[in-house]
Amino acid sequence: MRRLLDRFKYNGLFVKMFIIMVVSIIAVSVTTTWTTINMSERVFMETFSITNSKVIEQIKSSLDSFHYSIVIASNNISQSGSIRGFLTEGDGESLSMSNAYYNMSQQIKRIKSSLETYEVGITVTGVNGRTFATDRPYWPVSDNELRQHPITLGTLKEPRRLIYQYDDAKRSGTPGNEPTIIASKALMDRTTDFVYGMMYFSIREQEFKRFYESYTSLGNDVVVLDKRGTIVSANREEWIGEPSADLLRYAKEIDEQSLDYKNVGIMGKDQIVLSEYLASFDLYVVNLIDKETAIGQLIDTKMIVLIVMAIVSAAVIIVFLISRRLTKSLTRLVKQISTISKYEFDHYVTVGGSYETRQLGQAFNEMLDELQEYVKELVQTQQQQRNAELEALQQQINPHFLYNTLASVKFMVQQGSKEKAAETINALISLLQNAIGNVSETITLSQELVNMRNYVFINHVRYGERIKVNYFIAPDCMGYHVPKLIIQPFIENAFFHAFNRKAEGHIYIMAAQEADALICEVVDDGDGMETSSGSLLPGPKSKRQLFTGIGVRNVHDRLKLLYGEAYGVTITSEVGEGTRVKIRIPLLKG
Amino acid sequence: MKKIIVLLLVSIMILSACSSATNNDNNAGETAETSKITIWAWDPNFNIKALNLAKDAYTADNADVTIDIIENAQNDIVQKLNTGLSSGTTKGLPNIVLIEDYRAQSFLQAYPDAFYPLTDTFKAADFAEYKIGPTSVDGQNFGLPFDSGVTGLYVRTDYLEQAGYSIEDMQNITWDQYIEIGKAVKEKTGKDWISLDPNDLGILRMMAQSAGSWYLKEDGKTADLSGNAALKEAFETYKKLMDANVVKIHADWSQFVANYNSGDVASVPTGNWFTPSITAAADQSGKWAIAPLPKLTNNPASVNASNLGGSSWYVLNVPGKEKAAEFLGATLGSNVELYQKLVMEIGAIGTYKPAAEGEAYNAANPFFGGQKIVSDFASWTAEIPNVNYGMHTYAVEDILIVEMQNYLNGKSIDQVMTDAQKQADSQIK
Repeated sequence: MRRLLDRFKYNGLFVKMFIIMVVSIIAVSVTTTWTTINMSERVFMETFSITNSKVIEQIKSSLDSFHYSIVIASNNISQSGSIRGFLTEGDGESLSMSNAYYNMSQQIKRIKSSLETYEVGITVTGVNGRTFATDRPYWPVSDNELRQHPITLGTLKEPRRLIYQYDDAKRSGTPGNEPTIIASKALMDRTTDFVYGMMYFSIREQEFKRFYESYTSLGNDVVVLDKRGTIVSANREEWIGEPSADLLRYAKEIDEQSLDYKNVGIMGKDQIVLSEYLASFDLYVVNLIDKETAIGQLIDTKMIVLIVMAIVSAAVIIVFLISRRLTKSLTRLVKQISTISKYEFDHYVTVGGSYETRQLGQAFNEMLDELQEYVKELVQTQQQQRNAELEALQQQINPHFLYNTLASVKFMVQQGSKEKAAETINALISLLQNAIGNVSETITLSQELVNMRNYVFINHVRYGERIKVNYFIAPDCMGYHVPKLIIQPFIENAFFHAFNRKAEGHIYIMAAQEADALICEVVDDGDGMETSSGSLLPGPKSKRQLFTGIGVRNVHDRLKLLYGEAYGVTITSEVGEGTRVKIRIPLLKG
Repeated sequence: MKKIIVLLLVSIMILSACSSATNNDNNAGETAETSKITIWAWDPNFNIKALNLAKDAYTADNADVTIDIIENAQNDIVQKLNTGLSSGTTKGLPNIVLIEDYRAQSFLQAYPDAFYPLTDTFKAADFAEYKIGPTSVDGQNFGLPFDSGVTGLYVRTDYLEQAGYSIEDMQNITWDQYIEIGKAVKEKTGKDWISLDPNDLGILRMMAQSAGSWYLKEDGKTADLSGNAALKEAFETYKKLMDANVVKIHADWSQFVANYNSGDVASVPTGNWFTPSITAAADQSGKWAIAPLPKLTNNPASVNASNLGGSSWYVLNVPGKEKAAEFLGATLGSNVELYQKLVMEIGAIGTYKPAAEGEAYNAANPFFGGQKIVSDFASWTAEIPNVNYGMHTYAVEDILIVEMQNYLNGKSIDQVMTDAQKQADSQIK
C-alpha cells in the first residue's frame, strides 16, 4: 500500500495524464457509438415505416383483389335463377332432385372457378332447408348449427352487405373448427326484399394470412382486426381470436388522423403501429413493428460492444505506452532530485530522455555545481572565522589563571619547596606554549595527554588533590592526531562545575578507537545536572578557567565544521551520578 | 504496469472467445434428421389413429426413431405430392404417404423413381390379392396394402320389419331385388332407401368391380366404357333407383352421414370404413345390420362382394427411406397384434390375411345386433374380384358424371356409353 502510494507520488503526472486520456477516449467512443446507434435507429425507423406502408398497400391490394373475387362469386350466386330455384323449391322425386343437386353442383363449380386461386369454401343455404357446400372441412359447421350460428344472425342484420366475420371452435361451438374468416351475405329477392337464402365464403385463417405472411418477420407482425377489436387474423398464432381494444383504438386514431405511424407501448413492448382501414372488408390491417426486436436485428449490440472495447483498449494501450515514455524520464528526474538529501550536493542527476528533461537535468546539475562552489566558499569562510575566533581567544588567556598560578608558585618558593615550584613553572610554560601556538594545527594524542597532565598538575597545585584524575588511553590511539584544545575545556568544566556539592571525586579521561572514529570521553562522578537529551553545556565564564571564551558549543561546532555531520560532541548527565562527555572525531594520521 | 497490459489483452481475448462460442451448435440438427420418419395421412378418426397405434408399437422397440405424423386433407396430399414430385425436388415431402388405391397407379407411373420398392419389406402373398394390383408396377410392390375397402349393405332392420322384410331377405340379393324392397320400405315408412350424391359414382364403381369390370381395360390405360356390359347394367340400375323414387340426394359427406344419423334413409351400400359413421348415432344401436352387397341382376360374373375406396402406404425415395420401409414392414407389414388392436380400437379392417384369424375378428358387435361384422367383412373380402384401377379412374368418372345426367334426362344408354367412350379416348392417352 505504501509502495503503491509512493509509486503514485512519483508517477502523479503520468497517472493523471493517463486517467484523463482513458476517460476521454471512453467518453468519446461511447458518445460516438450512442449517437450513431441513435441516428441509425431513427433512420431505420423512418425507412421501416415507409417500406411497411408500401407493404400494407400491397397487402391491401391483394386483399382487394381477393374481395373482388368474392364479390364476383357472390353476385353470380345471387343472380343465378337456378340457384334461387334450388334454394326455394320443395323436395320432389329422386330423379328431379338428383338433377337439381347436379345442376347446383355444376353452377357452384363454375362460380367457384373465379375463386380458384384462393382456398375458399362456398356454402349456400336456402329457405327450403337445403344446403350446398363445397370444401366443408374448411368450415365444419353442420347444417343445423349454421341456421342459428352467430354469423348467420350477424348477416341477417345487414342483409344487403357482404360482411366479413371471424369464427373459430370457441365461437361456433364446433370442435375442429379452425380459425376461419367468413364472408357472408343474404340472398334477397330484389323486388320483395324476401330473403331466400344465405351464402357463406369461408377461408381458413391459415390461408387468409398468406396475403401478408411473407411480409412478416420476427418483430414485424401483421394483425387484421375487425371493428369490434377482435384479432381476426395474425401471423402470430397466439393472437388469433383474441380481443385487443388498445390496438383497435390506435388503428382508429391512425386512420382518423391520417398518421403515417404511431409509437405505442402495446402487448408489453414498444412498438411502431401502422394501420390501414380496409373499407370493403370493414377490417383494419395493422402492422406492428417491435422496436426492440427489429432494431436488435439491425444492431448487434455484442459486436458493437466488442469493437468499441477493442478500439478503446488499443487506444488505451497506445496512450499508455506513449505517455509512459514521455513522463518516464521526468519521473526519474524527480525521483533523483527528491532523494538528494540536504548536504549531498555532489549527487548529480542522470541526463536523458526528451529534450525538455535533458535541459532540466543539465540545469539542475549546473545549479548543483554552483551550489557546491558556494558551499565550499562558505565553509572556508566559516573555518577561517572560527580559527580567527580561536586565535583571538587564545590571546586572552585568563589573567586570573596566570595570576593564581604564579601566586601559588611564589608561595612554594617562599616556603622553600623549590623543586615543586620549578615543576609547576615548567607545566605552565608547556601549557602556554601549546595554547599560544597555531590553533589550526593538530597534535598527537600523546602530546595532548602531556598537556592534560600539565593542566591537571597545575590545578592540583593550586586547589589540592581532592579531585583525582585517571587516564585510560588505548595504546594504539596514541599516534592519532586531534585538534588542539578539544578535550581540555571539558576537563576544566569538570573541575570547576562538577564538584560544587561533592567534596571529592574522580575524573576519568578515556580514548579508544571505535570503527573508523576516535572516541574521547571525559567522565566525572560529580554532581551531574539536568539535561535535555543531546543538549550541550553552556560555558559560564569564571576567573579560575584557563580560557574564558572556549565553550563546549564552540568545540562541537568546530568539529562539525571540520569533519562533517557524523562527528561532534554528545553529553549525557544525571543528577547525583555525574556527567559523560563524548567527543567523536575521525582517525587522523599527521 | 506490464501486468495491466497483459490483463487488458487477456480480457480482450476472452471477450472475443465469448462471441465466437455462440454459433457452435449448428450441425446437431442434421444427424437427428435421418432417424425421423414423417408420415402424411388424412382422416383423424381412422388413418391417423391407426398410425398412432403403429407408432406406439414400433417406438416401444426402437426408442431412437422419431415418428412424426402429419394430418392433411386427401386433396392437399395429392396436390402437394404432385407439386413436389413433378418439380423433381423431394424437399418437404414426407417419408411415408397414404395414397388411395384408385390414384395409386397414376402416381406410380407418372413418377417412376419417386417411390421406394417395398418388395422385400413385406410378403405380398399375405395380403388380399385385390390390393396388390393397384399398389404394384411390373411385379414390384411399391405400396403396403392398408385398409380394406370391402363393401357391405348397411340396413335399418327396424324399417325392414315395418315393410315386412327381415335381414335374411337381404342376403345375397340382386340390385333389382334391392330396389323392390326399397320401394316397399318407402311405401310403408316414408323413408328413402338410399342416399346418393350425383357427383360421386361410387355405387357404379362397386357394381362394376363386383363383376370384375372397371372404367378401364386390363392395361389400366384404355377406357372401357362402350361395350362394357357390367357398367351398362350399373347405369341402368342407377336409373332404376332414381325412377323408383327411393333416393335421397346429398351434396357432401356431412350431409351423407347426417341423412343416416337422422334416420331419414334406411340403407347404404358402401365400404366398411363407413362403420364409425353409422355407430356415431348411438341411439340407433341394435337397429342396424350388414348384409352382403347386392350383385348385378343380369351379369353372371357379378358376385355379392366388391370394394370401395381403401388406401395403401407408400415410401418415397428420399433420405431415410430404409428406416421408413423398416417401420412399415415391422408394423403394418407383419404385426398381427397391431391388426387386432386396429379392429378393436378403431374398427379398421386391414387386408393382412394372417391377422384375420384373431379373436378380434370374430367378436360380435352389439351395435349391429350381435353380428360378427368383422368376420363377415373378412369373408366377403376374399370374394372381391381383382381389377386394375389403372391411372385414370377419376378422370373417367368426371366424364361419367356428366353422361349420367344426360342418361337420367333421357339420352339412350348406348349413346351415353359411346359418347363417354369418345370423350375418354380423347382425354386420356
